[in-house]
Amino acid sequence: MSVRVSKYFDALTETRAWRSVFRGGSGSSTLHRSMAIQQNIFLHLLSTKVRKRMISLNTTWYLGTLTLGTFGILVITGILLMLYYHPSAPQAYADTKDLQFVVSSGQFLRNLHRWSAHAMVFLVFAHMFRVFYRGAYRAPREFNWVIGVVLLLLTLLLSYTGYLLPWDQLAYWAITVGSNIASAVPVVGDRVRFLMLGGHFVNANALLRFYVLHCMVLPIAALFFVAIHFWRIRKDGGLYAHQKDAASVSNCDSGRPQL
Amino acid sequence: MRLPDSIEKLRQRLFGDTVRTFAWTSLLLLILLAVAPAKHYFADWRVYQRGYQQLISKRSDAVTLRRHFEPGIQQIWLPEIGVVDRCTTCHTGLKEASLADVSKQPYRHHPDMPHKAEEFGCTVCHRGQGAATSVEDAHRATDAWDEPLLPAKYLESSCGQCHQQDLKGTPQLNLGRKMLTQYGCIHCHTVKRPDGTVVAATDDPPSLEHIADKTSREWIYAWLKDPQAYSTTATMPNFKLKDEDARDISAFLMASSTPGPDAGSKVVPAVLEQAKKLKGDATLQTKAASLYGQSFCASCHAVQNAAGNLVGGDIGPELTKVGSKVKPEWLQAWVRNPHQYDPGTAMPRYRFTEQEVGLLTGFLMNKADADLLANVHLDAATPEQIEHGKRLVSDSGCAACHEVNGVKRPENFAPELTKVGSKPVAQLAFAPGVKHTLYDYLDAKIKQPHAFGAGLKMPQYTFTATQVDALVNALLSHNERALAMPAAKTVPALPESHYEAAGSAGKLIRDLNCFSCHMINGRGGEMAPELTSEGSSVQRDWLAQFLRNPNTLRPALIRRMPKFNLTDAEINTLTDYIMTVYQSPKVDRDSMPLTGYPAGQVELGKQLYYSKYGCQGCHIIDTKQDKGYVGPSLTHVGSRLTAAWVYNWMKDPQALRAGTQEPKRDMSDDDARALTAYLMSLKGHDAMEAKK
Repeated sequence: MSVRVSKYFDALTETRAWRSVFRGGSGSSTLHRSMAIQQNIFLHLLSTKVRKRMISLNTTWYLGTLTLGTFGILVITGILLMLYYHPSAPQAYADTKDLQFVVSSGQFLRNLHRWSAHAMVFLVFAHMFRVFYRGAYRAPREFNWVIGVVLLLLTLLLSYTGYLLPWDQLAYWAITVGSNIASAVPVVGDRVRFLMLGGHFVNANALLRFYVLHCMVLPIAALFFVAIHFWRIRKDGGLYAHQKDAASVSNCDSGRPQL
Repeated sequence: MRLPDSIEKLRQRLFGDTVRTFAWTSLLLLILLAVAPAKHYFADWRVYQRGYQQLISKRSDAVTLRRHFEPGIQQIWLPEIGVVDRCTTCHTGLKEASLADVSKQPYRHHPDMPHKAEEFGCTVCHRGQGAATSVEDAHRATDAWDEPLLPAKYLESSCGQCHQQDLKGTPQLNLGRKMLTQYGCIHCHTVKRPDGTVVAATDDPPSLEHIADKTSREWIYAWLKDPQAYSTTATMPNFKLKDEDARDISAFLMASSTPGPDAGSKVVPAVLEQAKKLKGDATLQTKAASLYGQSFCASCHAVQNAAGNLVGGDIGPELTKVGSKVKPEWLQAWVRNPHQYDPGTAMPRYRFTEQEVGLLTGFLMNKADADLLANVHLDAATPEQIEHGKRLVSDSGCAACHEVNGVKRPENFAPELTKVGSKPVAQLAFAPGVKHTLYDYLDAKIKQPHAFGAGLKMPQYTFTATQVDALVNALLSHNERALAMPAAKTVPALPESHYEAAGSAGKLIRDLNCFSCHMINGRGGEMAPELTSEGSSVQRDWLAQFLRNPNTLRPALIRRMPKFNLTDAEINTLTDYIMTVYQSPKVDRDSMPLTGYPAGQVELGKQLYYSKYGCQGCHIIDTKQDKGYVGPSLTHVGSRLTAAWVYNWMKDPQALRAGTQEPKRDMSDDDARALTAYLMSLKGHDAMEAKK
């Protein structure tokens, strides 16, 4: 059966329409296969060639990919939630209630967003521990580690800004405490707090500020750094394999810059 | 793809090859995702709506009910009062009168309500979470919702959010509001109505500036320890003072007391002598008792009878043990002229002779309880004790109610209660064992304030369960929603009247404290008839006679108006003032003559009285036959009321006195005139005698 399907698929990839979309062309030669990666805007960030062993579960536990997956879920559910949500006081709380009580599967949507956010924070930490204890941050991947740290901060900020949006007591006091911590910074602390909240107290301004950060600024920044992060994986010699297996690792890991 | 060996083995055992693994895990995920639509389908409100459809399908009026039923989420949305109530989503039969026999919730028919649900929603009265569509969230307090449904006994509080005036249907709320002003709550706690006016106290806690003139330190000590031991109706709460604290406070109060304006000067030895004589003289005692009765002291003061029941009014303090409290020198001065000691007192100045003053003083001093002070032995106070007492007086907030020399009245002594009815539960500190709802908190706080912490200053009141419920009702009505209610939806409180009568008559009215019982131009008590239009309704001669020797007008009521022993000059001043000033704009007193109606008209009036209108059902003219005990007796009405008043009264009694029980009969002008002619012919026996 699979032979017949692949025959139709081959025919499809030969059509003119297909060829106009996918520039790499078809064929199973090494060139064609590397073209398929290089000529695709999304895939070209990734290494052209990866050893089969490198994509096995044992090598990375897929922690980075899973993080990207939760990020994807968060973007999709987040956009759906935005359809029902007004970042204004006290409407924000009423909208949250409406999601729970009237919107079809609204509670499911909210829970999916919430649990994915928790999962993402957990996965980011797990990913970083794995990278750290395997020593994958070492040359030539030092810069990518730094990018990773930036992404960690962005994840935490996304989680923190999202906390205020339900506009309930828990949110209010969590953000009050959080912003008070910021004001403990010497010299500029109070200014930082004022900048965060758009005022001296958690109020409608703070809600709007956190909404813009949560739904626009931080996600775009995160996408930007994710792109660099992935691109640097390729440029820094692909996925890292543990030193124990050094003998079987290709010379890509020699530390020389890759194309 | 290679999994660790152990996991790989498990996978193979469970699913077999990779394709099957993919298929099975996909199926598992799908089932997990199906939880969302399942929860959607089995949502509480859908289950109830299906239940309702089943319920009505078996009924004979199914077609009508089905036509009224609208599926899907229903809501009452009133943005101007912040209402989003989806209660009618499940409470589908709310407006179906034909479902009166259904007792199963949520399908029950709502009993008659004074407002339309479309105008006020549900949660304005019932509280709960209107936006919710599940049973738990809508009715009960959850982590994200403070206000559970109000129990039925507190429902009247919701009326009080908009209605600042007393309502017929809310006895509990009315009582609670009265208690709030009567029991001293608002001397310490400020309470503002939504329109910004401050709820004012109606009690008058006595000044303690000259307390040493009036009573002994021992009595103060006993009173401080337990006010209700002296008088069960005492409004002063129990501060649960330690023995030494009560000792020191009594020491300070005695030390800080200054002689009053009348101290010493007005003591008449002969009066005191007569008072003392009373003790062993039964004849004098009888005389004094009958004076007490004739003066109608019991209209305001209660005394415990042998059976232990209180008999008498509640305007003045209970007098059962007054002899153990006051000094005879003070009492005789008070009986002679109470205004001298306390210019603000509600007690009228009777014009007693010195002999009568002596009789009453002796009579009251005999009302003593030997046990009250038997166990109180206080040594002379030391300066430290007095100093400590002063500190206690100022810390306990005594001066919030009483004037005390050397201690200023504290401002905002206790928390303001303007928004107490919507205080977030998270901001309350609960005593152990109290349920975590606002109304349970208030209930417990009133019943046992000391359970909430040793250092708290709120004193212990002795209230019945009904009184506590009433008070909680009144407190719950002061909330954020009441403050946010648009003015168009509210009924503001009647403005407080500071009416004063003018001139020498005004002085007389203040001296006699008419306002303690009678309402005039919005000010005054409710015990006796309103006098705002008295000048239009009564004849001058009758009024003068009544003031000289008051008598009851209604056979079913006991007489309460005391005889003040006024002089003729005083009666003239008062009568002139009432006849001139207290006139109704609706009645021209002189538009109809008092006498001279044709006999035919009088006869017609009599027939109308007894047959067409059946007035004898409530009024008495013929004392031998008539049995009407509801309205005033009319035997003398022709010499009491003016004809114009009677005529207008026949036409529309409610216009002259709002709330009167007299029914409006829509009678023709001729009928009204004939009845007036008949009633004006009833001059009474005395008047006839006089004519002869």
